[in-house]
Amino acid sequence: MSIKSISSSIQKWFISQSLNHSKRSIVISIITTLIIGSGVQFLVIDDDLMKMLPKKLDSRVSWDAVQKEFGSTEVIFIAFGNQNQSIYQKEILSDSWELKKELKELPSVESVINISTSTRIDNVDGFMEIADLQEKQLLNQDQIESLKKYLDKNIKLKKKLLNKNETFLLTIVQPKTIIGLDKFRNEVVSVSSKILSKYETHYSGTAYITGSIPQLIREDVQVLIQIGMLIMVSILLFNLRSLSGVLMVFMVIVLSLLAMLGSMGWLYKITGSEKFLFALLNTSMPIILLTIANSDGVHVVTKFFKEYRSGKTSRESINEAMESLLLPIFITSITTIAAFLTMASSPLEPLVGYGICISIGIAWAWLLSSITLPAIINLKKWNPTSKAFISHSIFENFVEYLGRVIVLYPRYIFSIGIVLFLLGSTGIYKVIVDVNLASFFKPGTEIRNSMDFMDQEMTGTMDLRIRLEAEMKEPSVLRKVDSLQYFIEKNKSISITSSISDVVKKMHRTVMNDSAKYDNIPVEREKVNNLFTMYAMSGNVEDFSSMVNYNNSIGLVTSLSRVMSTEEVFLFVNNISDYIKNHFNDTIKVNITGMIVVIRDMVTLIIRSSAISIIFSLFLVIMIASIFFKKIYWGLLAALPLSGAVILNFGLMGHFNVTLNHITAILSSIIIGVGIDFAIHFISQYQKLSKSVDRENLSEETIRDVGYPIVLDAASNMGFGALIFSSFVPVQYIGGLMIFAMISTALGTLIVLASLMEILKLYLIK
Amino acid sequence: MMKVSTLFFLLHYLLVGQTGYEIARQVYQKSNPEDLSNTMHMQLISTKNKIRSHVMKSKSIDGNRKQMIWFLEPKDDKGVSFLKIEHIGKDDEMKMWLPAFKKIRRITSKKKNDAFMGSDLSYEDLSSRVLDNNKYERLEDQILDGKDHFVIEISPKRKVSSAYEKHLSWVDKKTFNIVKEISYDLKGKIYKEKEFVYTQIKKYDLIKEVYVKNIQKNHSTRIKFTDIMLNQNLGEDLFKEKNLKRIPFD
Repeated sequence: MSIKSISSSIQKWFISQSLNHSKRSIVISIITTLIIGSGVQFLVIDDDLMKMLPKKLDSRVSWDAVQKEFGSTEVIFIAFGNQNQSIYQKEILSDSWELKKELKELPSVESVINISTSTRIDNVDGFMEIADLQEKQLLNQDQIESLKKYLDKNIKLKKKLLNKNETFLLTIVQPKTIIGLDKFRNEVVSVSSKILSKYETHYSGTAYITGSIPQLIREDVQVLIQIGMLIMVSILLFNLRSLSGVLMVFMVIVLSLLAMLGSMGWLYKITGSEKFLFALLNTSMPIILLTIANSDGVHVVTKFFKEYRSGKTSRESINEAMESLLLPIFITSITTIAAFLTMASSPLEPLVGYGICISIGIAWAWLLSSITLPAIINLKKWNPTSKAFISHSIFENFVEYLGRVIVLYPRYIFSIGIVLFLLGSTGIYKVIVDVNLASFFKPGTEIRNSMDFMDQEMTGTMDLRIRLEAEMKEPSVLRKVDSLQYFIEKNKSISITSSISDVVKKMHRTVMNDSAKYDNIPVEREKVNNLFTMYAMSGNVEDFSSMVNYNNSIGLVTSLSRVMSTEEVFLFVNNISDYIKNHFNDTIKVNITGMIVVIRDMVTLIIRSSAISIIFSLFLVIMIASIFFKKIYWGLLAALPLSGAVILNFGLMGHFNVTLNHITAILSSIIIGVGIDFAIHFISQYQKLSKSVDRENLSEETIRDVGYPIVLDAASNMGFGALIFSSFVPVQYIGGLMIFAMISTALGTLIVLASLMEILKLYLIK
Repeated sequence: MMKVSTLFFLLHYLLVGQTGYEIARQVYQKSNPEDLSNTMHMQLISTKNKIRSHVMKSKSIDGNRKQMIWFLEPKDDKGVSFLKIEHIGKDDEMKMWLPAFKKIRRITSKKKNDAFMGSDLSYEDLSSRVLDNNKYERLEDQILDGKDHFVIEISPKRKVSSAYEKHLSWVDKKTFNIVKEISYDLKGKIYKEKEFVYTQIKKYDLIKEVYVKNIQKNHSTRIKFTDIMLNQNLGEDLFKEKNLKRIPFD
């Protein structure tokens, strides 16, 4: 049996299932979809940036080691107070105490740091005294004065606990490592908002933002799907002018969405892999599948309408439509899947899950469009006198006009397309990569305002953690740590650093009668030992637990900074790495991690991921199209409109200052995956018609045949516009850029590809 | 009159048995040696099962109200010594000798709830309980390891500053030794579980092992006492600053 006859048998089998076993096909596909879709219950929403990094990446390994030794470093910052009102007042200090007390009661909270949990080390009459900074909830004026005096003298501690104007107090809440950040965030906010109702309150920190995102994602996805579907249904209804036709397309979309989300849930349930967590970047998945599934459905329904309009019976029309479409729909699905599956090679964990799950959704949409949709069309009694069949829609008229123009002026049109492409692509050099969470929220939104407040008024919330494996009581190590902190603090964005060295210096000074001369690390190891022992006797050694481990063999230097640009992050991390290389010998193992390093690593990974994805997916779609169309030049032609669209997309990102991040990075895969469909439908029909239509009328006929579904598909894909209503700035950008990408790939196919094929028709059709 | 009151107490004892207060009085009023010397081997076991060990030499008089501790191990702590003198009605006196600095430093006793050397025993746990500072309630007796025990609930009186809401103590009916105690924090949640093992030297029941588990932090401490010696005529003079600087040989 030849390949052609196998292909023909498969086509016949598909058509037979739709036409001869319509009800059975529908029932089986619905039941199977429901079984797969039931996995939705296992879907977990989590947008922890750290979980996106490969587990073997240095900064991730160090991060995991820090979490294991010192507990979670993803914390919530709560700043509260009132502008123009000093914090040195009985009431606010009492509320701060109450807040600590209530937060500590929460099952999700590991520890709380604020003014009421801090310790003071004083030299009293020549003796060292370790006591609570705020000794009780209700302080008298003398006690408040004493507290103020101590903080004024200990600037570093003051910086950590209150703002410059002394009007806001800071509380840092650390979660238990096993707790989901959304649960932690909700519990903390619920308790805090009750106690702090009379204050201006700002929440920030990675744990707060990461914990807030799942709820925002839930709301976002719901709103986006609703708006996306509304736009799509409106455009389809306006053009198809058949409610039944629209509902049939709609059914393919809904069932595909269910299968995709369900498979994601099942895969997470079965593998437990973080790749299958639903993160912020997955927000675009439903809308993208919606458009792909819509594309398949629209082609089937419009082709059926066209055949039915020509006077054939319903059964004959379905047969004719599916004979024409089964192969192109299969090829478009395969190429789109191939483009998305290239994401599986991404070093970023959620992109792998994204690629796999959306591919399942696309495969399901193909199955539904190839069997279930024609089966439903077959069961419906169609009225040949309805408006849908007797008159052309606006898009159909536009496409016919376009076809005539292209045949008349192919060279002009092709040249205009090339010029527009060249102009747009000049912006590529201006593309900026930025993964900073702050830029994901619009200025003026609550989260963004709080982040800005923390940056301007408090210490900032971006952390850098330096983990040291060394004998942390050794004076030479402590001095190196001290110098490292001094070096870090030279950066203007860094607001504060802390380590065990600070405590040793403070104790040394206190023991030596509070003489500023001794505000340093003692020279002898024995003295450091004595200071540690004395603290253990008079204070609580647990006070050091965020700075050194139980056996003093691992230390942690923490620094907090205001938001930095990606360029600043690269420069800063590189400088610190160089400093460590030059100043720490081999006996001290040093690793750097924290959000600042994560941002640097994410940027590198995103650039790598985008490049791999574009090259690999372009190669794949060219290969697949070449195989199906049996010549490599057809594959190259199929890739032409979408290659242009990808380059234009990056050009526009540069022109309009749209940053490349882990969310917008998926754009190229989407453009390739969705854009290839148009070219494949066009080339497939061009090849088919070349057997029955003469060369002169071939382009016009092809445009007339597939131009309408392509334009209708692109127009209904304006559902991408729904992304503009997202709460997240990068998702909004995806919306805008995808609308442009849809227009550019559709017109790229119908204008640039069609005019090029018209120019090259002598070579293409022999 | 004497006869009537004696008869009344006898009748009361027969009808209701000993009260919590009476049991506690018998526990606290057990005779103590004049002085006590021992070597303490303290093991701290962290949540992650990491262990820190300390060895200290201790000498005390007056039922531990005056105590001197010299640190022997680990090497980092060697030479450090500690003097504690408890006072009734005012803050305890605590001083440390820091050999590397050649200085004696007083340390605060403000944070009585703070752990002693990172252990699960706070200074409050280490201080002697004053009988009249607590309320006592006798609960139902229990058999523990085949032995009959009184169970009493000890609650610090309101005027007393304490980190605990109450303690449940299991008192051996024969020896009046507390063999087990569960302590509750001020919110009424279980805070610590303590177990005590005794040895009898001469006529005294002396603790030879203490195990304390901080339930809330999942951290535990085991202290074993060896080289126990008593009534060696340790005078008041030993408990002076100048003696902090010298580690005793015996």
